[in-house]
Amino acid sequence: MTSSTAPAPASASAPARRRSRRGGAEARAGLLLALPFVVLFLVFTAWPVLQSMIMSFTDMRISDIRSPFAVNFVGLQNYLTAFEDPVFRRAALNTAVFVLLGVPLTIIAGLAAAIALDKGVGKLRAVFRVGFYTPVITSIVAVAVVWRFLLQPENGLVNTVLGWVGIDGLHWLGDQRTALLSLVIMAVWRNFGTSMVIFLAGLQAVDRQLHEAAALDGANAWQRFRSITVPSIRPTLLFVLVTTSIGYLQFFEEPFVMTNGGPLNSTISASMYTYSQFGFGNYGVAGAMAYLTFLVIAIVTLVQFRLMREK
Amino acid sequence: MIERRRPVLTYIVLTVFLLLVITPFVWMILGSLKTQGELLRTPPTWWPEQPTLDNFRRLFERPFGRYFTNSAVVAVVVTAGNLVLSSMFGYALAHLRFPGKRILFGIVLACLMIPGLVTFIPQYVLVVNMGLANTIPALILPFLVQPFSVFLMRQFFLGIPRELLEAGRIDGVGEIAIFFRIYLPLAGPAFATLGILTFLGSWNNFLWPLVVSSSESTYTLPVALALISTGQNETDYGLLLAGATLIVLPILVVFLFFQRHFIQGIATTGIK
Amino acid sequence: MDRLSRRAFTGLGVTATAALAASCGRPDAGTSAGASASAEPLVDGPATGSLTVWAMGAEGEKLPELLKGFQEQNPDVTVEVTPVPWDSAHDKFTSAIAAGTAPDVAQVGSTWMAEFVGLDALEPTPSEIATDDYFAGAIDSVTVDGTVYGVPWYVETRVVFYRKDLAEKAGITEPPTDWEGLLALAQAFQQKADATWGIALQPGGQGSWQSLMPLIWSNGGNVVDEAGTAFTFESAPNEEALAYYQSYFTEKVANPAPADGVTEQDFVSGSVPMFISGPWMMSAVEALGGGGFADKYGVFVMPQKETSASFLGGANLGVFQGTKNRDAAWKLVQHLSTPEVQVEWFGLSTDLPSLQKGWEDKAVAANEKFEVFRKQLDTALAPPVIGTWEQVAAKFDAQIEEVCKNGLAPADALATTQSEAQGIGTGA
Repeated sequence: MTSSTAPAPASASAPARRRSRRGGAEARAGLLLALPFVVLFLVFTAWPVLQSMIMSFTDMRISDIRSPFAVNFVGLQNYLTAFEDPVFRRAALNTAVFVLLGVPLTIIAGLAAAIALDKGVGKLRAVFRVGFYTPVITSIVAVAVVWRFLLQPENGLVNTVLGWVGIDGLHWLGDQRTALLSLVIMAVWRNFGTSMVIFLAGLQAVDRQLHEAAALDGANAWQRFRSITVPSIRPTLLFVLVTTSIGYLQFFEEPFVMTNGGPLNSTISASMYTYSQFGFGNYGVAGAMAYLTFLVIAIVTLVQFRLMREK
Repeated sequence: MIERRRPVLTYIVLTVFLLLVITPFVWMILGSLKTQGELLRTPPTWWPEQPTLDNFRRLFERPFGRYFTNSAVVAVVVTAGNLVLSSMFGYALAHLRFPGKRILFGIVLACLMIPGLVTFIPQYVLVVNMGLANTIPALILPFLVQPFSVFLMRQFFLGIPRELLEAGRIDGVGEIAIFFRIYLPLAGPAFATLGILTFLGSWNNFLWPLVVSSSESTYTLPVALALISTGQNETDYGLLLAGATLIVLPILVVFLFFQRHFIQGIATTGIK
Repeated sequence: MDRLSRRAFTGLGVTATAALAASCGRPDAGTSAGASASAEPLVDGPATGSLTVWAMGAEGEKLPELLKGFQEQNPDVTVEVTPVPWDSAHDKFTSAIAAGTAPDVAQVGSTWMAEFVGLDALEPTPSEIATDDYFAGAIDSVTVDGTVYGVPWYVETRVVFYRKDLAEKAGITEPPTDWEGLLALAQAFQQKADATWGIALQPGGQGSWQSLMPLIWSNGGNVVDEAGTAFTFESAPNEEALAYYQSYFTEKVANPAPADGVTEQDFVSGSVPMFISGPWMMSAVEALGGGGFADKYGVFVMPQKETSASFLGGANLGVFQGTKNRDAAWKLVQHLSTPEVQVEWFGLSTDLPSLQKGWEDKAVAANEKFEVFRKQLDTALAPPVIGTWEQVAAKFDAQIEEVCKNGLAPADALATTQSEAQGIGTGA
């Protein structure tokens, strides 16, 4: 920011002056293109965010919204309350497990599907694309009913299939050891279509001629994937990694419809617990919980940007 | 070429996956043709025993056209707005130098990470204070600018070489024109992706329209569907699945419309 | 400490007007609508002007039909009814209250009353509206700190559903009336009628307090004191009730990990031939069971220890503070609170009348199973009317789950709940 606003020195040579005039036009164009978004963004997103941030440092309850001056500033008290709450700690742990398992699986599944459907499989490509995208668009209610049936202990499909090969099935959603795992698999199933769609767009940046040349030189599929495809889709990969992580860190719908956080809090997520605190009207504590989640997300994102080497 | 080496195996693997993946979707459609009694049964039936269109008939007793129009207007405007505003800003973030760029991107990215729950009430109070409660604009304005969209467009434009920009300058094309005439025509795949994702998000949005709308004239499809299918203690599953099936159809249309653009490769449009 | 808040909030400005009137920090408690709340009398004459009404789900859709009579009697009034989905209705109400966009009149969930009163959202009921004919539990649910806010609109209560045919097969022809009898019937189902489980009970999780509270009340216990100012989770009657509930799981009479949404199916198939629920389950099991199933099952009132007690639910009608047409709003509520209109409403919606006189009508009394509900309503109790109840109940649910699934001692569970509840407070 500072460097680009610095005026060009008066004694600059002719090319430098041209460059700086160029720079001026470039800056003007940049600002002009940014302006419509930024104005709406400041009003409808940034401003409410700022309010909510202040809220998390007060003892605000729902009754205080219309008289916001009547609240007390409580410093970090809400954050301490959140930390001291064993259910919130459990929820944070569940969320971490969910992210660590779910994010890589979703990205791998999405990328694999995108590569398979990018150029291959001829005319049926469109059918597969729509098919793989249906979990994203199917109503969560229908999804919940079907998945519950799949995972049912007595006559569910999964246990029936396991029975054929002589394995005793489990009560997947009712057992503390498997409930979260079941939800991870369900979430991957529901979400890989989204990353597939994004990867499909990103893959258009891959140079096909380079691929063919490398193939002629004897590079195998994996080598070509590593050294041609991955570098070309790096920005997309970063995008999918960051947004999937953010989505999974705010993991909510699956436990909400499938287990309601149970059994014995083994699937409660940080977002779900935060939502319930909002429901109870404890805006201050709920805000603190949300910003703790934000803090984690911010750190994770920063690490991801670093790992993907973007300044 | 290489991909066609073992087409049969690819087909088999993909087809097996496809079957696994679409089961709930098919079940939803079949379920919309079943009676409440059949839907309550466990294990659930696959084919409807006595297929009936009764659920759809009951659905169309409502002012379905009104809900549909509301949803469509909101989703189309939100999608168009996101495509235009986010591609402009995303391009600027990717390729132009201007003051405040890094800070702006940082703020946008930060807002992407903040759980939406926390800004819900402040946003609602804002809309009420602007006198927009219970209006269609209130369903649109807060969603015209989404950090997700701008981040997606920025990453996409980063993938298009900067040499095009330099070449345009040498040819004497104006800064703004470079965006509209050179970069935007290449944005097909990204537009397709963003179009599908924003349309879907807007089309399925539930909580915001529920809270903002205070009369049936501004209800959207998901709100209306929740209203008629879910009672205090019981759920009318037939109606719910019939509604869910109808709601999904426009998304399928939009998907099919946009997805053709996935294959519009950049390599074929002028980059060496 | 209070003085710090002004500077912190200068930038907030959630409402511009609040800034002008603000004295900062919290005012002393008790200055707002509380124990001393009383209502202005209503003006005589027909209602005029316009009203907005929110009602949930099917109620919201059928209400305009019911209001035709009101509009005939009051031709100068226009009523706009907005049907609100049950799903997330609470979020809609709290947002509206927060932003000052609540309607004039609305259907209010019975567990929301104390919370909304705590938010200064509801008006106390004026004396023109008689409250003496309501079921006792129903009127309790609209009474906060001794003041009545709004009126009960319709009620429901929970009774025991059982398979009559299978009970006969197990050699039991009379429905049980006490705790021992209920357990014995459940065990008989398992031993003599091939049932997998004797009864479906919720082993913890959201809303399980609704199953346990009737047993606590039945044993003379409670979880809040008379005044609604202190929690009383730790007591011998409560402990005994929870131990009794636990015994269903330790004796393997009830499934400690039931699958979701199978109650109706298991009831019809006979694998779990007994459960406790409300009147809406009648149509659900009959739809699934097909023709003649209505004769195969029966209902009976909750078994007694000291008394028979059950959970009273339903919904209330409230008038919101800030209404611009207060007289008309209350006249609308008054209209809906007559036995004739409640019977008409039963015909439209099958919602059970909250007025005892409503039950004298033949239309309501026709179904013999309703007689059992009628009898149960006399002893059904409302959940504790405190503003933080939902939050306390969530903690209670978690402890009930520990008791049912992990064998936690009831006394320990109640002690934990008590201390957690005290941490949350009653919101008073």
